[in-house]
Amino acid sequence: MGLLRDWAFIEDMTRIPALSELVREALIKALFTRDDRVLPPAIVGTLSKTPAVTVKVKDDAEVRKLVQVLNGEESTVSLGLSAEDFHYFRRQLGVARGKEIGIAPRPRSLLTYDWLVPEPRGVQLDFSAYGSVEFPEGSARAVAQVGAAWTDLSREALANGRAVPFVPTVPLDFAIGDALWGDAPFASYEGDFGAYVLGLRTVSGYGHRTMVGFDAVSTEGSGYDLVHAILPHAAEFFLPVAVALRLVARPAARRILTYRYADGAKLAAGLEALTRSGRAVAWAHVADAGAAAALRPTLPPDPFTLQVSLAGPESGLATREKAIDALLAGFTSKASDVPDPFDLPSEAYRKTADRVGRSLFVGEVRAPVRSLADLHGKLAGLGEQVGAKASLYASVRSTGVVSAFPAFEVQKDRPRVYELSKGVHRIAKTIPGAVFASRLAHLWEDDEAFRKRMGILTALKRDIDAAQVLQPLVSP
Amino acid sequence: MAGLDYAHRRLVNTLGPERVARGEHERMVYSHDFASLPKIALIQWRLYPDFVVLPRTTPEVAAIVKLSDETGLPITPRGGGTGSVGAAVPNRGGVLLDLRSMNRIVSLDPSARTVTSEAGVTWRDLDAFLGSKGFALPVLPDAAPASTIGGAINGGAAGTGSFRHGTLRGSVLDLEVVLPDGSVLRTGSAVDLGGAFADLTPLFFGAEGTLGIVTQATLRVIPKPETSRAAAYSFASAAAAARFLRGIVDAGLMPFHAALLDREHFVFERALRADAPEPADTALVSLQGPKDEVADLEKSVDALAASVGGAKVPAAVALELWERRFMMYGARRLSRGLVIARTLVPVSRLEEGVGRARDLIHQLKLNGAVHATLLDTSTAYLAPYVLMDDTAPSGGTALGFVKKLGDAALELGGHPMGLGLFMVFNLLKMHGRATGAMGSVKGVFDPNRKVNGGKTTELWTKFTWPVINSIPPGMMGFGLDAAAFLRRIKPTRDTFVRAYERAKGA
Repeated sequence: MGLLRDWAFIEDMTRIPALSELVREALIKALFTRDDRVLPPAIVGTLSKTPAVTVKVKDDAEVRKLVQVLNGEESTVSLGLSAEDFHYFRRQLGVARGKEIGIAPRPRSLLTYDWLVPEPRGVQLDFSAYGSVEFPEGSARAVAQVGAAWTDLSREALANGRAVPFVPTVPLDFAIGDALWGDAPFASYEGDFGAYVLGLRTVSGYGHRTMVGFDAVSTEGSGYDLVHAILPHAAEFFLPVAVALRLVARPAARRILTYRYADGAKLAAGLEALTRSGRAVAWAHVADAGAAAALRPTLPPDPFTLQVSLAGPESGLATREKAIDALLAGFTSKASDVPDPFDLPSEAYRKTADRVGRSLFVGEVRAPVRSLADLHGKLAGLGEQVGAKASLYASVRSTGVVSAFPAFEVQKDRPRVYELSKGVHRIAKTIPGAVFASRLAHLWEDDEAFRKRMGILTALKRDIDAAQVLQPLVSP
Repeated sequence: MAGLDYAHRRLVNTLGPERVARGEHERMVYSHDFASLPKIALIQWRLYPDFVVLPRTTPEVAAIVKLSDETGLPITPRGGGTGSVGAAVPNRGGVLLDLRSMNRIVSLDPSARTVTSEAGVTWRDLDAFLGSKGFALPVLPDAAPASTIGGAINGGAAGTGSFRHGTLRGSVLDLEVVLPDGSVLRTGSAVDLGGAFADLTPLFFGAEGTLGIVTQATLRVIPKPETSRAAAYSFASAAAAARFLRGIVDAGLMPFHAALLDREHFVFERALRADAPEPADTALVSLQGPKDEVADLEKSVDALAASVGGAKVPAAVALELWERRFMMYGARRLSRGLVIARTLVPVSRLEEGVGRARDLIHQLKLNGAVHATLLDTSTAYLAPYVLMDDTAPSGGTALGFVKKLGDAALELGGHPMGLGLFMVFNLLKMHGRATGAMGSVKGVFDPNRKVNGGKTTELWTKFTWPVINSIPPGMMGFGLDAAAFLRRIKPTRDTFVRAYERAKGA
């Protein structure tokens, strides 16, 4: 698993420029859909070496020991395993072999799909039992172990007088770590997940506990901002075990305003006005009819539902609500008693997540908020074309950008994912200012600057993880 | 290495004679930044560049960088020179690139709400331009009138507005950078993609010009706020003012900016201007946004200030303080120099941080004032300044204050800001085992240490011979500890205010 690994693997296979032009995309497609008929046997062999051992992490000391075994600093004996386990472990891992054996965390929930190139044997870490959260007294921050579910973090923060400022745009049952090695789309109206990350407690490729960034303060003025540079690929450089997060005060009062629209263009115009107004909003999410049906199956879905979370002192909320009503003119009805997906009890949240997770997601389209209706129309057209009903989840940003997540009601098979991803990619190219960001889009990207940046990141990965233990790069 | 005359000819051929300087006076001007530095520093560094060049375009910058392969001269990029850790000062002479001639605002995209500007534009000029088009910058660095776009990005600056709109780092979307091999890199995308597509922009934020030369930046802009107000409150002590700032976070209030200025700051101001506000420990809060939100927020802030014993200062005084927010260091005129100790501390320990700064100023017998702002809900920017006379033999010992306050910030769970040339010893203390990764970053971008070498991650001297070509960072820290010790045993306190008033009377 890993973006750098997928990218380096494909770069390696298409090193001759002429060949690259001819076969690159065909190769990506064959790799993604695992079309073994067209792939050379050596590659099929590489792709078939899935991780043999899954370790359920309970303590970061275990992770350190594992890393030290894999990088050759320690033998399995020092892990304190029984003789039987010892031999099993050695055999499974192939310890002392010439090839690199890596370690990779397993996401709790994936929004889209797995990576192309799996871990070549090695160890997979399951952090589901490593999820406690620390709230330092008197501080608006938390240190969450990577296995902590977003719902648990949010609930515990409220119990500690704080609030988690970001929510998952698509409400799946994500763990915090999923934003570091998966594709959890955490965001707020004011910023992306990265805006709330102060630092990462990690284990380095040498098996040392290594703090990247800081626990309690921002990174400004402390040299290269490694945390935010590697955040989307963090587990390919260091193995994060906990994340230091910036929280906000628990609001004195909160209102969830629900606006229903029949016309996407009016919704887009209203959102454009909202984002230009400079009004403070915690989050603003849009669901079209399909998405609303999955989020709230008991309520009749409208063509578009916008939910806005307002928070702050009780005194000013009514005035703010009126002002927002005026900005969002064009809605057909408004309600203040429609539940939002995030305030449900854990069990109910997970049920919603199960329903939402049945759809096929291909990634994120970032587009100017005024293009929302255009994007929605084009996605619906794509859905009709391929015989899959399309729906849309979107999170609005104060910057006037919308993070949209198209979903399709169709069986989740890899060829279908590929085909739909291509379609969404094509659509994004037709909307000015829109970009399709997904793992496949990264692999398709042929911009020279992007290739140069990936080259730099890969070189950095090789240098920081010189032992080639953390999701090592794989050659065909 | 080619001779200096050859290098001069090549530089003149590239830029023309009017944009290459090698006179003593020009070189002297570029031998220091905002911080005062004792002359003794010249023993270990060649702070005077061999040449000062003024490129106007990115290809010219790239040509100068490539030229360094021929001439072997190191390159130091520089903006407004408002830093205070020597990041924009040469350590081995060479070519200094003053980027202030790259001062074009390239484009404003009102629909995407982004502006693209060359690196040499000052923040104030850019904000004024945006203001004329109905937009504003979400965050402005402290030294906005002189600080350039590239300079503040390289310095990893904190700024006004970050509490409401996120840090300055977050408002930088894309950079154009000339890499040490002379090639040009776009670090991200003009669309905010949240780190997707291998966004390297964060690596350059705070890189102090050691990874490449930033020549252009695309920044996020916001629509000009409907209204803007300033409110100020005086408190019985700096600790109470710090409690007030912390209360803003705890109450979930979101002003545009919240700052603390201690009593001493106004004592200095009074010495310089008779009409300066009455000395008092003061908190300054700026509110921006829609009228109703601002009015409601002001009421909440007033109530909070009253609950910790704050008295509201007349609106005209608050407005004056707000308008002078970028002129924090006028006190420099009282002495012959001034040193700022920039640190970040947890908001939860701001009160303690302010106390430690005041204690240090007292213990080291300095004249100094404390300034702090809220950077975000967990981070406070604590930046006290002290006066020094760098022409006096004991003047440089004031630098010990910066070291001691940095140590205090680390103890409080924060960190000092800026590494540059003088503070490299803090790197290991701040990053522990991740320090090696910082070295890897420099190694990947600039393996031959062409651009601003010997800074940020390592500490070079002016010498190129083995053993004496670098200083163990710890030794530099030891030197500053010794300076602090000398201050501590100094029998008398500095009396810059009195001396200034005497001189004025005379």
